[in-house]
Amino acid sequence: MAEKYSNKKRIIIILLFWLILWFLFNNPLNIDFENILDLVKKAACSFYNVMKGLINLISNLKMFSLNQVIVNGIFIGIIYALVAIGFTIIYRTIKFFNFAHGAVYAAGAYFAYTFFILLNITPALSFLLSIIFAGLLGVCIDRFVYVPLRKHKTSNLVFLIASFGVFIFLQNLLQLIFGAQILTLRTGPVKEGHHFLGAVFTDIQILIIVSSLVLFFVCWLFIQKIKIGKAIRAVSDDPIGARVVGINSEKIIMIAFAIGSALAGAAGILVSLETNIEPTMGMNAILKGIIASIVGGIGSIPGALFGGLLLGMAENIGIWKIQAGWKDAIAFGILILFLLFRPSGIMGVKTEKEKI
Amino acid sequence: MEYLAHIIIIAGIYTILSLSLNLIVGYTGLAALGHIAFAAVGAYTSSLLALNLGISPWIGLIIGAIFASVLGAIVSFPSLRLKGDYLAIATFGLGVIVYSIAKNWVGLTRGPMGLPGIPAFKIFGYEINNVWAYLVLVLIFVVVTYVVIRNITKSPFGRILTAVREDEIAAEAMGKNVNKYKLIVFVVGAFFAGIAGSLYAHYITFIDPSSFTIMESITVLLMVVFGGMGSLTGSFIGASLLVILPELLRFLGMPSSVAAPLRQMIYGLLLIVLMIWRPQGLIGKYKFK
Repeated sequence: MAEKYSNKKRIIIILLFWLILWFLFNNPLNIDFENILDLVKKAACSFYNVMKGLINLISNLKMFSLNQVIVNGIFIGIIYALVAIGFTIIYRTIKFFNFAHGAVYAAGAYFAYTFFILLNITPALSFLLSIIFAGLLGVCIDRFVYVPLRKHKTSNLVFLIASFGVFIFLQNLLQLIFGAQILTLRTGPVKEGHHFLGAVFTDIQILIIVSSLVLFFVCWLFIQKIKIGKAIRAVSDDPIGARVVGINSEKIIMIAFAIGSALAGAAGILVSLETNIEPTMGMNAILKGIIASIVGGIGSIPGALFGGLLLGMAENIGIWKIQAGWKDAIAFGILILFLLFRPSGIMGVKTEKEKI
Repeated sequence: MEYLAHIIIIAGIYTILSLSLNLIVGYTGLAALGHIAFAAVGAYTSSLLALNLGISPWIGLIIGAIFASVLGAIVSFPSLRLKGDYLAIATFGLGVIVYSIAKNWVGLTRGPMGLPGIPAFKIFGYEINNVWAYLVLVLIFVVVTYVVIRNITKSPFGRILTAVREDEIAAEAMGKNVNKYKLIVFVVGAFFAGIAGSLYAHYITFIDPSSFTIMESITVLLMVVFGGMGSLTGSFIGASLLVILPELLRFLGMPSSVAAPLRQMIYGLLLIVLMIWRPQGLIGKYKFK
């Protein structure tokens, strides 16, 4: 299947998809509504009242416009993409679903809370410190849990369940230390956002976008251009071959954990600037990260970015029409559809070794 | 003493859950992580039938279990195509979707407000609202579940399940329809999980979505893994120990804000330690492949 679509065709299909969505939701009917109204006015007074009610309904819907939905989708999608890229970098070297990634994400937010609110360090320094700490936490998880498991040469499922264990342990450790209540990194009052193209967004959201883009770029440079990045790719493609040419795979896995976990920590901090911090925040993040990377094509970094954006958008378009509580159901519905009908994701290429 | 009976009832319900999960995970080797979803379906079905239509909890229990097995049949479809950790993620997702429905379909399930005042079981006109009577009822169900699942696993049918677990392709080459067996295993496992769910609902007399979170699924999986994969005695031990041991924390005089996360931390640590040193569990024979 994967060979059937070239990259150009893929882009065209995606563009067409968005165009159709745009026309579907932008409601072109609205333009000539006034003319219809005049005719109706002359024809029957009772019918007029019905139409007026309809117009009210439509204008109410318009207040929460598609543009706003797309903007919200991009913001949350970028966070999902950050988690998914970190997850993917780790996944490429160890080939299992590292649930502990979600706990690292939550821990990143709590590190930032500790440094910024409790210890009163300047924002830039405290965020940098907490990203470093998140990376260290990832390395520690690898050292103390996954290295012994790798020595036993166990299966993927054992790793998966162990990473669940790490996740539960860390999440409840956070709850034990900081309590179950909701905390925030926000210090000032909430400012009104900027209006742009019918959508509203805040300074913090711009900060999220800019810093995520910088992180994406740095990541891409790292993976594609630098020698260690090449080693990571080598280990992910062929672990035994990499060992033959003298790459220390344990060291490479450690570096992948450091980078991936640092990205998760950064995502956690960025989210907590916009919303709140709570110990259970990691579960949602890792689930969405995994879904994004499977939808995008597991193991592919551009796929993770694209999958994150797609997931964020789909969720927001979904809850635009139905209740907000159904977000998770929508996300998992997409995941199960992809797993059943296109398990290699949008950008992934199915290799023979992958036992999907 | 009533407290002790309560603990044993909860342990019994968890035992039914872990016995039925053991059939799926331990004997057939399918990594299913959404087991509590079946219990949720059973619990909600029988309580809604009893509350809205006044149907006897006994019939509700059966209907709930049947609904749960229908869901089990649906869940088995991904298992035909997916293996290992992908199946784990997909079943995990179905667990989240069921939780999401219980939480958001307010018109039916009352959402986070939960369903209060679920009637108790009646036998010859007497309500079973005494803890000891309920204990006997739960133990009967535990024994029934044990006998049924033991007979399944000891029979030729069970040996085919083990063959599917050990080598699916070889089992297929022997002329066994692997898909059929996976479907049956999910249906049977979900049936008993549904029974466990409605036993829980009619005992506590109140259910809300928070009783059926993903963490509960992982707890049940931990019970199976801890006791031993592919060992029914192991499931008894796992469920009992993991229900009773955290209760001891209560006797150490800890406030619940400390005891609750500490209990979960112990669970997490247990999972890690088990996976590193004894992935087959205390008395199990089978490791994840």
